[in-house]
Amino acid sequence: MPTELVMPHEAVERFFGRLIDEGPVMGPRERVSQPGFIHFDWLSDAADLRLNYQTTTIPPKKAFFPPREVLFEFELTDPLKITAVREAESFTLVGVHPCDLAALRMLDDAYAREPAEACWPANRARARVIGVDCMPDEYCFCTSTDSCYSRAACDLFLTPIERGYLVEVLTPAGEDMLRVSDVSEATDEDREQAEAFRREKAGAMTARLDATPEELAEILESEEHTELWKEIASRCYSCGSCNTTCPTCFCFDINDEFDLGLTGGRRMRSWDSCQLAEFALVAGGHNFRRLRWQRVRHRWYRKFVYLYRTFGRPYCTGCGRCSRACTADINIVDVTNEIINRARERDRQGVQG
Amino acid sequence: MDKRMVRFGNKPQIAFFDFACCEGCQLSVLQLEEHLLDMLNHVDVVTWREAMSEQSNDYDIAFCEGSITREEDVERIRAIREQASILVTLGSCASGGCHNDLKNQWPMAEMLDLVYGDMAEHFDTIPSRPITAVVDVDYRTYGCPVSLPEFVTVVKRILTGQRYEPPNQPVCVECKLNDHLCVYEKGLVCLGPVTRCGCGAICTQFGDPCRGCRGLMDAANLEAAVKALTREQAHSIVRRVVERYRFTEEEIEAKLRIYNNWPELKLEESVANDD
Repeated sequence: MPTELVMPHEAVERFFGRLIDEGPVMGPRERVSQPGFIHFDWLSDAADLRLNYQTTTIPPKKAFFPPREVLFEFELTDPLKITAVREAESFTLVGVHPCDLAALRMLDDAYAREPAEACWPANRARARVIGVDCMPDEYCFCTSTDSCYSRAACDLFLTPIERGYLVEVLTPAGEDMLRVSDVSEATDEDREQAEAFRREKAGAMTARLDATPEELAEILESEEHTELWKEIASRCYSCGSCNTTCPTCFCFDINDEFDLGLTGGRRMRSWDSCQLAEFALVAGGHNFRRLRWQRVRHRWYRKFVYLYRTFGRPYCTGCGRCSRACTADINIVDVTNEIINRARERDRQGVQG
Repeated sequence: MDKRMVRFGNKPQIAFFDFACCEGCQLSVLQLEEHLLDMLNHVDVVTWREAMSEQSNDYDIAFCEGSITREEDVERIRAIREQASILVTLGSCASGGCHNDLKNQWPMAEMLDLVYGDMAEHFDTIPSRPITAVVDVDYRTYGCPVSLPEFVTVVKRILTGQRYEPPNQPVCVECKLNDHLCVYEKGLVCLGPVTRCGCGAICTQFGDPCRGCRGLMDAANLEAAVKALTREQAHSIVRRVVERYRFTEEEIEAKLRIYNNWPELKLEESVANDD
């Protein structure tokens, strides 16, 4: 059982202010030019931190894997000169919800698998993470994906209680962050309030998947549901927003960009999406998933079959970002339950017939 | 001589030409300012009406903006094609379709009367079309005005002897990577989901919706647009738009037509889903 302490309301801003003084801190804040829009960004003032935010469009994985980044710069000299672009500073990522904590651990596992990716673990190793608990909205379904109570990849975890936050100290790095803070031992009353918050959270979850991860994987494996995928594809723009907002998607594209002077340039990396027509296009012009419905199906298979079979858990955290972002109104819970229900209906008819 | 310049022995001579348009693409390229100096290390500009007085008919690379709307335009672009080793279309008028093509919805004689009245007999007009519909083109750039990052990319590709395939992804990709508020949440209709990216999602960066100036991407799902925007109810991000506008199919068609009317946009023909 981790150490549990209490950080009173009046100490919260001081605590994060001190973290900001110590080094870079990224957390949820409002964008000045877009009132009400909360996103993960660097903080210069603890007063800007919005710990009670609902959600963000882009998940906090961007702290370790930016949407666009320069891998290295090159100069076309003889011999070729290559300069690595590395941010050496360590930083603290704060205000991460349990679903996104679970996602960080999933990406740890995915990128560690051979051939291993080098940037993610290097960036993760130099970061401290502070999680915070939250209340669901109509799109959240983390109780169905085993991430509602995740404390993965996290040094400190905060749960709102009456007099402030109950702080779970999960690592020595977490303990170190609290060393000069005004925290006190948690009482049974504090623990009971935190427990009540978690109960309320789970109880407030309106969206849920109608099958366990194993059942879902089997249903998806047993039937191709081609007609269903075509129905969904007819509504799908293939805009990729379900991927670009997903905390567990980890595909990327790499491009070399010359400067206009043509004496050098940089190698760029950016997030990619399996819903885009060009994603599975290979040299010679063959496209492994040319048809839209094949790409739609691929996302479900990827999240709930392939990676589930590889890593033992669905690569979906129930954060609901893909459903929120979909301008075609395609909801991951609705579609998944439709798949489940159609399969079960067919089974029932099969038994009767 | 630059050894990396595979196509040209000397600095290539470049020229800018305009057809029916606002010349906004030429002006936009001028806004590259200090980047132009880098470009001038590699090229000589011999004709550029918006930037210089000198003119020359001796050029290797022609950048052409605007639409073809008269028989004499057809002759002129063919002559340019004849002279230029490389022909680049600049912006949507020249590359895919733009406002000019809207006139194609009405008889040409009616359009002449409307614009020139008594003097109509002195003018000639044909249905408006992009340059790409008249001559073979080596490189295309889109946007209204032309997207400058794409222009710069194309110049670099030409100078290094590489092809350029315009991106075939929607604006949503760039908008999401920018981590910006989806303008649908503000109750604004955005054509980002069906529009070819490459602009850096510049409009949504400043809170405006995408109006589709780079044209539809290949295999844009217009059936999805009709289904998403004409529905009675929505529970997601499109809710405000659906409740506010109550779109009809005709209204969606009209929105799409602004930059996609060559050949004439017919929604019922293009909605046949996917591939």
